[in-house]
Amino acid sequence: MLRKIATISAIGLGLAASAHARPVSYVGGWTLIEESDRQSTSLLAHYTPDPAFSIGWKSEWDRQNDIALHGPQFTYLAKRWFGEDYQANLYAFTGAGWLEGVDSNPLSAEGMGYVGLLADWETRSLFASYKTRYLDSHSLDGNFLQAARVGWAPYEGDTGDLHTWLMLEVDHRPDNEEELGVTPLVRLFKDTALLELGWSLTDDQPLINFTYRF
Amino acid sequence: MKLVSLSLISLLFFAPAWAQDHHASHENHAEHHSTDHSDHVEHAEHEHHTNDAEDAPIHTQLTHTPEIHQALEAGGDAVVVSVLGVVCDFCAKAMDKTFSKRDEVAAVYVDLDHKTLNLVFNPAQSIDETSIRKLVKKAGYRAAELTYIPSMNLN
Repeated sequence: MLRKIATISAIGLGLAASAHARPVSYVGGWTLIEESDRQSTSLLAHYTPDPAFSIGWKSEWDRQNDIALHGPQFTYLAKRWFGEDYQANLYAFTGAGWLEGVDSNPLSAEGMGYVGLLADWETRSLFASYKTRYLDSHSLDGNFLQAARVGWAPYEGDTGDLHTWLMLEVDHRPDNEEELGVTPLVRLFKDTALLELGWSLTDDQPLINFTYRF
Repeated sequence: MKLVSLSLISLLFFAPAWAQDHHASHENHAEHHSTDHSDHVEHAEHEHHTNDAEDAPIHTQLTHTPEIHQALEAGGDAVVVSVLGVVCDFCAKAMDKTFSKRDEVAAVYVDLDHKTLNLVFNPAQSIDETSIRKLVKKAGYRAAELTYIPSMNLN
């Protein structure tokens, strides 16, 4: 039972590392997304064969609970709203693969799967996003989480300039001891490289995210 | 309960986007266009191709960069495409990558300030409107209006 609780918590925290950068690129584009927060480090590499979806591989390592998961992820752009000054997107994503204990964790490899939604709305100076995910595996009853983010750009840079965003992320993980987490962060964005640096006020842990689009 | 909460949050999130979409469609009817940008050139004889469904504002000014200027000097025709949904460098790079691969294109520049895709073709070459719209869609965006500018109007 303790292992199950630990596993649920670990997976919940680990998978909460959320890709707030757009998960579907232009046709033929590759994207590399690294995310490291208070709990885990993950890597997602995806390819976009069609403007409506991307396929990729996700690996994630929960550093605190010694759990790793691996598997392909499919992301579908369900709807994109276009405006003169804004863009909004609704994505659905799903992944399947396996998770296992690493280092001192004896958890044997077992199948896992997850589904989720990601929505964002963005102008050149305002940003908002919301993400939710549900994960299940053989030893899990199911894990639900959600995270929202708002951002503001103090200036509007033109093409190729360094773009700076000030953001605040709030996540909700009902299965965790600390259900609500708050992380202020700075996003630096230039050309096809995006770097996010933040600090979790809840756990005193850094957030370091990096995205590069080829 | 979780599903209900999720649905409510999703509705709250998307309400502003829907509202702005509706609001923007009204604003566009009354929009006027400035012509005093120093890095833009206004041309007298343009050929406009409007997607009426979008009812988007008209941006007919070509943004000049060194690459654009060089391609114009070589005698290429140009087209300015007003694109919806362009808000960041990822958007710009998507269109840059998509159009740079085309043999007809000598120079490409996405102007975030004016939400335009600026193309200059190689001499005696061009890409038709339908193909440009398809390529913009392939990049993940939507072309609102195209303004073809023959090279004779650029010299």
